[in-house]
Amino acid sequence: MKRIFLLLMATVLCFAGCSSSQESNTDNIVIANIVTTESQILSYMLKYLIEYYTDEEVELINNLGSSMVLHQAMINGDANISALRYTGTDLTGPLQEAPMKDSVETLAFVQKAFNERFNQTFFDSYGFENTYAFMVSKEMAQKHNLTKISDLQSIASTLQAGVDTSWMNREGDGYKAFTEAYAFDFKRTYPMQIGLVYDAVQAGEVDVVLGYTTDGRIASYDLTVLEDDLNFFPPYDASMMATNELLEAKPHIKPIMSLLVGKISTEKMQELNYLSDNNLMEPAVVAENFLIEHNYFSEEVGDQ
Amino acid sequence: MMEDLSKLSTWEQFTYYFRENGMYVLEQFMSHFFISVYGVLLAALIGIPLGIFIAKTSKLATPVMALANIIQTIPALALMAMLMLVFGLGKTTVIVTVFLYSLLPIIKNTYTGILSIDKSLTDAGRGMGMTRKQVLYMIELPLSLSIIITGIRIALVVAIGITAIGAFIGAGGLGDIIIRGTNATDGTAIILAGAIPTALMAVIVDVILGWLERRFDPQKKQQRLEKMI
Repeated sequence: MKRIFLLLMATVLCFAGCSSSQESNTDNIVIANIVTTESQILSYMLKYLIEYYTDEEVELINNLGSSMVLHQAMINGDANISALRYTGTDLTGPLQEAPMKDSVETLAFVQKAFNERFNQTFFDSYGFENTYAFMVSKEMAQKHNLTKISDLQSIASTLQAGVDTSWMNREGDGYKAFTEAYAFDFKRTYPMQIGLVYDAVQAGEVDVVLGYTTDGRIASYDLTVLEDDLNFFPPYDASMMATNELLEAKPHIKPIMSLLVGKISTEKMQELNYLSDNNLMEPAVVAENFLIEHNYFSEEVGDQ
Repeated sequence: MMEDLSKLSTWEQFTYYFRENGMYVLEQFMSHFFISVYGVLLAALIGIPLGIFIAKTSKLATPVMALANIIQTIPALALMAMLMLVFGLGKTTVIVTVFLYSLLPIIKNTYTGILSIDKSLTDAGRGMGMTRKQVLYMIELPLSLSIIITGIRIALVVAIGITAIGAFIGAGGLGDIIIRGTNATDGTAIILAGAIPTALMAVIVDVILGWLERRFDPQKKQQRLEKMI
């Protein structure tokens, strides 16, 4: 019976060994993402790229609840790459700073702060941002010659607006602050779930809506996004992030990740989101198709 | 490229989904299966010896069973959340959770299997001059194997369900597809695409292990032997 006890002990020790190996997390590349579609598409792109150009095995941690959880996972060493971070979110979230208005300044500040405080590299933007924006149907835009939010001022008293419920009462960049900044008010606002606003404006039930800039329905419904000419909404430029530990231990990873920097426009991201959200394609499949289509798996890109 | 799929019926969307993402689903299916199997295998590695041990030292039976019972009462998501603090996000935590949940059925069935053996058989073995080890390997284990497999079968079917929840802490598997379906605008087809293979996996495992179980059932074996004669 002693032998059985020994076997037991050995197994328990083996377990303990497995778990402690997670502490120094530069052996495995682990990419974490949040629950949104675009976040998952981008993490599969990174995974496939790294696996194509190196012999590394890449693990994914999907479906984290929020960017705060994602940040915590990076700090704890559960993950060493975040597929998608937004400058605005990270500025007010993990960094606990006041919102900033300029996108270039925000990115520079966030990059510097993450490097100093958390020893993490915040990459340059993928090339798209996912922020709130006002949108109108194309006919509406042509009829009133609308290109920027200020253009709404003269007709605002006749407009019905559909907006995100949580935006109505938000401090800083919510509805109240918006009416102060742009100095006009809509005739009526209908708070609704964010997913419904695109259909509402498409169906003509409201005249103008506040949506997310990367949603796939913008492209498919041919909505016109109005420029935020007073820079009211804080910038939410999208970037990837990695721990400096990983980048130092595996110096060949950084150039591979950088292949995607500046390569995905907001329109492209809308299209990819649409494929996944409305056309039933898995983020993994969308990511692979994108990489093949844009020749990421050919020698020319690899040599850059 | 931008075809409108919302007009298709759920079933058509479902088949379309499999045409587009078949390989991906297969990948997740395998990863789901292996997470469950690893957890149960580890539990068998520890649970079977422990079950034998407590069957021999009756004093330990009650506390060990009580402990395994207590583990079973903790909801899977809560257990995972607690283990996550130690093992971090990802597959390891889910494997450990499956391991803990599998302990009870495996220990209990091993224990019952060994105890249910007719005492006269082990006595006969002892009388023939067998050592304790020989009695264990040549009489007790073969005779209780079918019941032990029942335990593993129960554990594995439960494990497949638990692994689906593991998607919440980033372990991947078919649960990932289900979660994505709940987030998509019109995700019924995607939810089904995750749920149906999960159920199918549980059924297949149940059938295969059920067959093994009957194969090793000593009484049925006896009947087969008699037929041959």
